[in-house]
Formats: sequence, structure tokens, C-alpha cells
Amino acid sequence: MTWKDRLAGTTAPELAREIDIFETQIDLKKQGKVEDRLFAETRLRRGVYGQRYDNGQRHDGVGVRALRFPAETLTKGPETLWDAPGMQRIKIPFGGLTPEQMGVLADISEEYSDGICHVTTRQDIQLHYVHIEDTPDLMRRLAAVGITTREACGNSVRNVTACPIAGVCREESFDVSAYARACAKFLLGHPDTQDFGRKFKVAFSGCQHRACGLVSMHDLGFIARTRWNDGVPQRGFEVYVGGGLGAVPYQAKLFDEFVPEQEILPLAQAISRVFARLGEKRNRGRARIKFLLEKLGIEAFRELVLAERAALPEDDRWTALIRDATMQAPSSPTPAGVGPSDAPAPGLRSWQATNVYAQKQAGYAVVTVTLPLGDATAWQMRRLADLARRYAGGDVRTTVEQNIVLRFVAERDVPALHRALADIGLGEIGAGAISDVTACPGTDTCKLGIASSRGLAGELRQRLSAKFEGLDPAVQGLHIKISGCFNSCGQHHLADLGFYGVSRKVAGTTVPHFRVVLGGQWEKNAGSYGLTIGAVPSKRIPDLVERLTQKYLSEREVQEPFRDFIGRIGKQALKPLLDELAVVPPYQVDRSFYSDWRDPREFTVSDIGTGECAGQVVSRIDFDLQSAERRYFESQLHYDRGDYRLADDTAYAAMLEAAQALIRTQFQDMSGEPDTVVGEFRARFCDTEVFYDVYAGAKFAHYLLARHADRDRRYSQERARLLIEETQLFIEAAYACHTRLLEKGPQGRIPSMAATPAAHP
Amino acid sequence: MDLHRLGIKVFCAEHGPLDLPDLIPVFHRFIQGSSLEGLLIDVADYSHVHHGPGILLIAHEGNYALDGSAGRRGLVYYAKRHSGGTLAERLATVCRRALMACRTLAEQPEFAHRLVFSGEEIQLFANDRLLAPNTDRTLAALRPALEALCDRLYRHRTWGITRNGAEPERFSVTLRASAPIGIDDLLTHLGD
Ligand code: SF4
Repeated sequence: MTWKDRLAGTTAPELAREIDIFETQIDLKKQGKVEDRLFAETRLRRGVYGQRYDNGQRHDGVGVRALRFPAETLTKGPETLWDAPGMQRIKIPFGGLTPEQMGVLADISEEYSDGICHVTTRQDIQLHYVHIEDTPDLMRRLAAVGITTREACGNSVRNVTACPIAGVCREESFDVSAYARACAKFLLGHPDTQDFGRKFKVAFSGCQHRACGLVSMHDLGFIARTRWNDGVPQRGFEVYVGGGLGAVPYQAKLFDEFVPEQEILPLAQAISRVFARLGEKRNRGRARIKFLLEKLGIEAFRELVLAERAALPEDDRWTALIRDATMQAPSSPTPAGVGPSDAPAPGLRSWQATNVYAQKQAGYAVVTVTLPLGDATAWQMRRLADLARRYAGGDVRTTVEQNIVLRFVAERDVPALHRALADIGLGEIGAGAISDVTACPGTDTCKLGIASSRGLAGELRQRLSAKFEGLDPAVQGLHIKISGCFNSCGQHHLADLGFYGVSRKVAGTTVPHFRVVLGGQWEKNAGSYGLTIGAVPSKRIPDLVERLTQKYLSEREVQEPFRDFIGRIGKQALKPLLDELAVVPPYQVDRSFYSDWRDPREFTVSDIGTGECAGQVVSRIDFDLQSAERRYFESQLHYDRGDYRLADDTAYAAMLEAAQALIRTQFQDMSGEPDTVVGEFRARFCDTEVFYDVYAGAKFAHYLLARHADRDRRYSQERARLLIEETQLFIEAAYACHTRLLEKGPQGRIPSMAATPAAHP
Repeated sequence: MDLHRLGIKVFCAEHGPLDLPDLIPVFHRFIQGSSLEGLLIDVADYSHVHHGPGILLIAHEGNYALDGSAGRRGLVYYAKRHSGGTLAERLATVCRRALMACRTLAEQPEFAHRLVFSGEEIQLFANDRLLAPNTDRTLAALRPALEALCDRLYRHRTWGITRNGAEPERFSVTLRASAPIGIDDLLTHLGD
């Protein structure tokens, strides 16, 4: 008996067939009949992702060791070993889960993963350490309860997200859940979404001003609007396009102020077609739709989309899916559960203040279950499913803050539910507050992670939870979000206090750091992004949070929000604090700085042994890169003062300076003239690909080359902001390049390059 | 029964406070020294999760953990991949791996006299709801192999087997000996 036999007839035939095909592809790959890249994209489109160390190399704290898996040479993608454990992403459209689905998630996490269901920042569920050969059965079991992993990764339409309190929110225009469901269904596997150069993310929000849908950071976003025509309400959406976080965050642009509900699917299709046709395909770093919009401008883009829309062949599903979805029974009040519990559990009142929200339906509440770092055990997931059945009519959503909400809880059942949650270790207060730190997987499992976002998040969470109730309410309400690298999966740009992982060489040794991003706006659908102000050693981030929040409390004006406070005092006033905390004690004095949170491995133990004298030497490039950083900082100050032209030029100068710093390691006497710098940089670091990031490729180099080529630059606030973001990434890439060259030792020098001019401008 | 995803939990007593994150450097050291059987890959920290898998030492064939499920700490080993041999041999393998891990862990200087494993109560589980749902039928099917295992582990002591919980929880049984027995003795018995 197999799961395939057991579940035969319980799954939609097309879902079952897709999984059978995937299983066949796995077999063919094992027989060597499928090319690596093709198989990699195939599995990604089924949500089967790589994980850290899947190239078979791991630094164990002493040295890089090979992981000798049994299927030694078999791969599941370029440099990805077959047997290496991987991650399975599971799409949960609009975060909607049933108790039955939760039960299956619990079972498969226990049987194929590590017993943990992890809620992501886009309402997905992820399982880690999964073997590829277990994935078809895992998918079958999910498909049997109506969940598909199709297009959970890869260049496809990712999980369609929506407000977790849609349908019960007191401020929404209307419930967007059904539209999100219809959109997810329509775009899934649609022929017009199969040829994207990059991923495409869609979100729905019920209102303008709250955060829930985070529309501004999405490739395509819908905000519910109701228009009145002769006294008759008409549902529709304000449509935004071209937002995204990633290395350089873009705010979505308004595409249309009102698109009637029956038009949203054809519009999404038309946008998909334009993106597939004109979006970048070769350069992954510029393949998101935001770059297409930047290139075309919103007006030209709109024209193209509308022309495409006009030419689309009629499709019944445009209206049928919306009709079906909106006709499906909405979440309905359930009979009240057991009524008040015998005695309230300790902490009920504080928990109610942060974790309970009164629905628009009188007498009912939404209860947010705080999941530490987005994690729930299989056992907790099953108990939560039971509680959802008992108290919430089975109405459950995941949230982008990595929590779970139970809706339609009768208010009189709230104390009993709290007690039941506390009994399974999920009665923690502070949902969405400062202690509820959001983090991407980072170096725990992500191949691209630079620093331990989860390690830091765990540490901050522990410290802040312990003193949460004693914190000033203004501090309690702040958001902390952490990414393990510049790719922003932890959504650090949107936080009051955001951090993303970087590394720095200190006296020849690599030290984990986090870049500090302050003043992002979570509300108003991710209304604005924070700006980066500097890098601080990972181990000093808790001190920074403490000092920064203290400073805020003591220096804020009456009722001044944190974001406004940061804007008012400016980055100049924060610099001394950052500089003070940026100092890394010598290895001999405090070794803890040289390893990451909850990971005792020292990154470069072997470097420590190279001699104390060498360890103390600060090379010229360290000073030069610091100088570039300083100039970058100045560009931010100009930006804050509203001098966008000067900000832009200064950011450009900072990039030139960082490039020059690298060139000087090989060619001391070069001139600082921009054409010369760029020519040398291109010849020494681009043509040789020495500067190229292992995953991002030429992306960061392109920032300098593009700005340098832009002789007739049209200055604007938006362009300055983007260039400042790019500059910071360029400088980070210069640090990383320098680190790589150092780690390679003398042979890391570019052999063909003499200490004389290499380029001919 | 062609059951491979078998696991063992050996309970421990803590004499003195033990923070789960204390396990992290120890498990990293195990990876460096290949101190446990299997291809040791990485360490996963779930110390923030209530009654969860605690700290996991991820390996290719199966994972090790100092687990806190059901509110009781213990060393867990569970197989993830197919292995050869009969069911009895596979049971013996997971048992041996778990017991060896207990011994190695208890020997670490950080845990000297703080972490004491005892062998008279062992939980055995199956992460396979297809072949081994948590039912009396599964217990009946597995009973001969489980009894043989108990005979081997506990020798002349009397022992009992009790099934735990019900579906949808995974199949699990508790093997309980009538008198205390140490990890070394169990390992000796298994080795015979
Ligand atoms: S932000 Fe970076 S480290 Fe975090 S999940 Fe994304 S790519 Fe990985």
C-alpha cells in the first residue's frame, strides 16, 4: 500500500496527475535523463527548495568539510546534491487554513521534516530538512485536503496573500478573502504566468491605512474600494503594481484608482502577459516587474497593459471564479463554545490587550496566537486545529507576522480559549508587538543567509518578552524585523527597527554584523521604507535596541511616533550611538563577537592563527571603504534635507570611492577621475567577475556602471532614494569582494592584472 | 512490516538546571568529531518552542534531539531514510543509536552529573501513519518484534508494553522494565 493507492479518488484528478508527473521527473532525474537546470526549476515550481549546505560543503567551525551523502554524485540542480535535506514551501492562499489541513500539516511535518510547521512572512508554511524523495507523498497528502505546493517557488506567481482579518475587520471596505482565493486559483498554472523571468507576488488588502495586506511591497496589489453609483454600491479595487522589497525596495505605483471586481482577473492576466513578454529574462537581478516599470514608466506600462487587456480572448472564468468565490459561504458565527472557564489563566488581561481584536460582528473576536519565530510543533498544530474547531468554527488564518489567527471566537469564550492556549504553550502575549520579532530563516537553513536572523530574533524575543509588560506602550508597539541578508525576506524595510545580515573583516577575521534600517512604516500597507544607517556587530544589536528605545522615550515629543522621531532627529544624531556600538573588541578580549547568535562556530578560526601582528594591522582598503561609507552616509543626510540632486551625486561618489578602494589593492597610483575608476573597475573586477556575487551575479556592479553611464541624469527624489539603496549594496558588495579575496590568500589576486593601468577609458 | 521511520526516546533526569541552548555547542562539537553514527549535518535550535524537539542534531539517516515533547526531556533518535535488514534489526539499530547518543552526551564535561539517562522506560514511535497508524492493529502486528526487543534489552527483568495515545498522534509505545537499568547495560545487551 502506498499513499498514492490510499488517496486514490480523494484528490482532484489534475492535482493527482501533476504530482505523478513530478514523481516521474524525480525518477528520470535519478536515471540521468533530465538536465540539472531544468530539474531545478521543475522542483522549485513545486515548492521544493534547496537548503544551506546542499552543495555538500559545510564549515564546521574548524574548516570546510565535505558532507559525503550516499548518492555522492547525483544532483537535483546545479551544485545541489540529491541527498541534501531541502525545504518544502507550501502555499496557503490568503493564509486560509481548515483544521483538517492543519492536521495534515502536522502529520507531514512529523513524518518527513523535523516536527515543526514554520509560518513564513508571506503566509506560507515551510517544512525544513525534507528529502526530495519524500516530496511526492507529502504533496499527495496535502492535495487530498485541497492544498497545492505548485508554484510556491520559482519564476511564478507566489502565494496570494491577504489581510488575516479580512471579513471580520471593523475598518475594511469589504471582505477580500474570496477575491484573493479567486485570483490564486485563476493565476495558478495559467499559461500566461509560465514565462516570467522572476517571481511575481500578489496581495489583497481590505483598506488603505492598516498594514495587513502590505500592498505597496507587492508586484501586484489590490486595495478594496466601494464606489457608489446612483445609490448602488459597487465593489472594486485600487490597483497597484511594481512594488517589491529585495535588495533595493520599490514602492508600488498606482495603476488604477478603481477597477470593478469583475475586471480584476483579466487585468491580472494582461499584466502577466506584459511582464512575460517584456520583463528581463537573462539578468535575474533586474527581472522583477518593478524594473520593467522603472524602464517603461507607469504611463507607458499602463497603456501596454490596457491594450493587452483589450485584445484578450474572453474567458468565462473571469467572472465565474469571482462569483463562485464570493458565493462560498462566508465565515459565519459559530455557536459559542464552552463559555467562561472556571478560573481565568494568569495573564489573561495583558494577553487580551495584545492578542484579541473585537470583530465587526458584535460578540465575536479574533484571537492571535503568537508563534515564537513562526514555529509550532506538530503536536501544537493538532491542538490548535482542535481549538479552532471548538472555538472558532474552524476559521483559521496564518499571518505575515508569522502567527496564526482564530476568528469568530465568541467573546465569552475568550478566557477559556486563553487557558487552552496557555496549556499548549501558546498563550504568549505581545502579538505584533516589539517582542514578536519577525525573521526569515537566515543562516539556519537559507543558502543565501549571511548572519543568523533567527538566532538574533530568538535572543531579542527572549529579552523583550521577559520585560514586555514593564515597557512603555510606545515601545511595546514597535516592530522589529530581521533578514539574514539583503534579500529582505524578513521584511526589514518595513519595520521601526529593521536589521539585515552582513559581515565585516575585523583584524583579518570575519565578524557577523547587521545593517540597521530605521523608520520603516508597517501601516498604510507598508507605506514607506526605512533607510539604512550603518552596520553593528551582531552581538551588539540587543544593546542597540535597548539604547535606541531609551533614546526615543527620553527625547520624543508628545505622542511622537518612532518613525517621526527618527525622521526628526535625523541620522546624524544617531551616528555617535552607531559608531560607539560598531566597535568590535579584539578576539583575545571577547571571542563571542566572532561567532553568531546560537551558533558557536567561529567563521574563520584558521585566520586567527595567522599571527597577532598581522591581526592588528588595518589595511588601506579598510580605511578607504570606511570613507566610502561615510560619503554614503552624507548622501542620506542630503536626502533627508531634501537636496535630492546632491544626495544622488554623493551616493554616486561613494560608489566610485568604494570601487577605487578595491582597485587600489592592485594599482596604488590610480587617479580618482570617474572614467578611469569605472574603466579600471570594469576591467579588473567585472570582466574577471571577481566582484560578482555568487548568487546576485553582476547586479551590484551594474549599479555603479549604470549610474556612471547616466550622463544626462534626470534627478528626482525617487531616483535618489533608489541610488542611495544601491550604493549601500554596492559598498557591501565591495566589502564582500575584499573578504573573498582575502580568504583566497595570495592566489586570490587577479593574476593577469599588473600594478599598472588595466583599462583604457 | 516494512517500517523504517522508527524512533526511540530515552528519558533523562536533570540534576541541576540545563538550558537547551547549552546543547548547541556540544552538538556542533559532535559534528566536528563525527562523534555519533550517521552523516551529521547541522544543528537546529528550537529551544523557543514549548515542549518541542528542543535542539536537533540533523543527520542524513536520522535526527538526534534532546527533545521536550509531552513536557519530558529525553534523547530522541529517529530514522528518516530506508535502511536494510529485518524489522528486528532496524529496531535494534535505532535503539543502539539512541543509547550511544545518551552515553556520549552524558559523558560531556558540561553535563557531568547533570544529565542522567535511565533505561527502564523507553518510548518507541513510528513516523509513518500509512504503515503504522496509532491503532491496536499496528501494535498487534509489531508485538512480536517489540517483545523480542524487550527480551533482548531487559533480559531477565519483567517488562511491559503499553500503547500511548490515539490517532491522529503517531503510533507510540512505552517499553517499561520492572527494575532500573542503566544505558551501558542496555548497550551491552544489544551488542550480545
Ligand atoms: S533574506 Fe536572505 S537569508 Fe533571509 S531567507 Fe531571504 S535570502 Fe535567505
